[in-house]
Amino acid sequence: MISEDDVEKLASLSRLEIEASFKPVITNHLNSILEYVQRLNQVDTSQVAPMSHVHGATNVLREDRVETVGSSAPVSPLGEQSIPVQEMLPAESLLQNVPDHSGRFIRVPLIVE
Amino acid sequence: MTDLPSLSISAIREGLQSKQFSCVELTTAALTKAEKLQSLNCFIEVSRNSALEDAQRVDALLKAGKQGPLLGVPVGIKDVICTKGVRTTAGSKILHNFIPPYDATVVRKLKTAGAISIGKLNMDEFAMGSSNENSAYGPVRNPWNPDYVPGGSSGGSAAAVAAGICPVTLGTDTGGSIRQPAAFCGIVGLKPTYGRVSRFGVIAYASSLDQVGAFASNVRDCAIATQAICGQDPNDATSVNQPVPDFEKIIGTSIKGLKIGIPREYFVSGLEPETDSALRKAIATLEGLGAIPVEISLPHTELAVSVYYILAPAEASSNLARYDGIRYGHRASGELDLKTLYARSRSEGFGKEVQRRILVGTYVLSSGYYDAYYLKAQKVRSLIVQDFDSAFKDKCDVILAPTTPDVAFKIGDRVSDPLKMYLNDIFTIPVNLAGLPGISLPCGMTSAGLPIGLQLIGKPWDEATLFQVASAYESQTEWHTKKPSMSAGE
Repeated sequence: MISEDDVEKLASLSRLEIEASFKPVITNHLNSILEYVQRLNQVDTSQVAPMSHVHGATNVLREDRVETVGSSAPVSPLGEQSIPVQEMLPAESLLQNVPDHSGRFIRVPLIVE
Repeated sequence: MTDLPSLSISAIREGLQSKQFSCVELTTAALTKAEKLQSLNCFIEVSRNSALEDAQRVDALLKAGKQGPLLGVPVGIKDVICTKGVRTTAGSKILHNFIPPYDATVVRKLKTAGAISIGKLNMDEFAMGSSNENSAYGPVRNPWNPDYVPGGSSGGSAAAVAAGICPVTLGTDTGGSIRQPAAFCGIVGLKPTYGRVSRFGVIAYASSLDQVGAFASNVRDCAIATQAICGQDPNDATSVNQPVPDFEKIIGTSIKGLKIGIPREYFVSGLEPETDSALRKAIATLEGLGAIPVEISLPHTELAVSVYYILAPAEASSNLARYDGIRYGHRASGELDLKTLYARSRSEGFGKEVQRRILVGTYVLSSGYYDAYYLKAQKVRSLIVQDFDSAFKDKCDVILAPTTPDVAFKIGDRVSDPLKMYLNDIFTIPVNLAGLPGISLPCGMTSAGLPIGLQLIGKPWDEATLFQVASAYESQTEWHTKKPSMSAGE
């Protein structure tokens, strides 16, 4: 059984703050889910290998280098057929999503005193 | 006047080529219909301006005699798939302001096939849900009855096709998120083989299970759309180099002598009687076409939900660690230290189901419990794969099963009991765990007027047989021609 204290610890590991009113509810939910999945223990798996990939694929490696430089224009219907690979995106298109930045630098809370 | 957005792809090709209507007229009709049916809440964002600009380009291309498999076809994209310059939220508050700097490969492929994106479709947050009630942008309503859920997580994608807003939409399927809403909305939806379609630019939920696929109102349109998105992508190391056959050519070919496996574990007491009877009629229809039903057994079926609700949250807890409020997405306000900033941004941004799955995933991966939960689930997953392997090796060419144990339920009915909600996916989850292709198509209606779904499951890379059997069934029945009354045009 998971206690509310366990949930608090899991929340901290997961970088979540659980609302006080939701804590007992989610504790119940977690317990019912974990109790349900206990049925896996009915099966003897001592001779079974764990699944790693459904089609037995292996690692695919490539050199880490820029192959194409992205443009800001979207593709129009029947546009170019080739998919750009290892594309370098314009910095502005990335910075527009940054919640807080100064020029090309992302602003974060003070980390080192 | 013809309701243009309800037309099939073939009728659109024909109409555009013979100048019965222009692409601007077609696109305008789709956008108008999306607006008129706003109460269904299918869309998170409608891209009116860019769609009309693209439609003008298509009209010019048509004039120049150009062709493309989806030239001028209006499509909708599930909001978990990145669209360059168009907000992509994954149904979450944490990405309420996220503008992707690039297109997902599937979006690029649809555009190069000539399609026009009319907007981004509503979904359960981060694709976690079976009812579309977990969206931060409100639930989607089922076009057959607005008090009912459309299914999930690709609820907007299914409802938009069922309501006749556009002929094709894209969705994703991790545990049934294409097939289950297709069944609930009375349309066709196919989850391709794991590795068949690129996931580059698709926001990840559970990476060993996620796959992109297409919805349409008939089998041929689904085959055409699937064709357009299949194939290996150098940007996705998990996409596989397998030849892609011409799916449209397979439509209508004979299924005589094909062995159809009927798994006895899917026809059990939990199955709703009207669903059971519709499925049995479907088996008889296929038998009438010369197919041979064979009883098979998939003995570990009952354990699939348990395996899924360990593995999917485990993978999600890792995939969703990237949302920290630093580089993109929601950031909590105030002068906070780093750890509090992370935790507060995430708690303000993620909904309850997402938080629940992150906690479960963190629990089953933590050092004391890893072997008992995660490793055990991966072993039982191997057994589920073996079940399918042996059925396909000796007994059958394709498997027929219900898509869901029951039809659509009322909005609000199952929100308080996550486990009950999870059990809704019992017939779709095994297919994801084994990485197989699966299609859902309509095979009946309940007395209450809600659609029933038939699921076909294929061997790895054998989507072709699914389209073949589905189209053979469709040719003998009229379920795919039934439309909800609100889908009618002006």
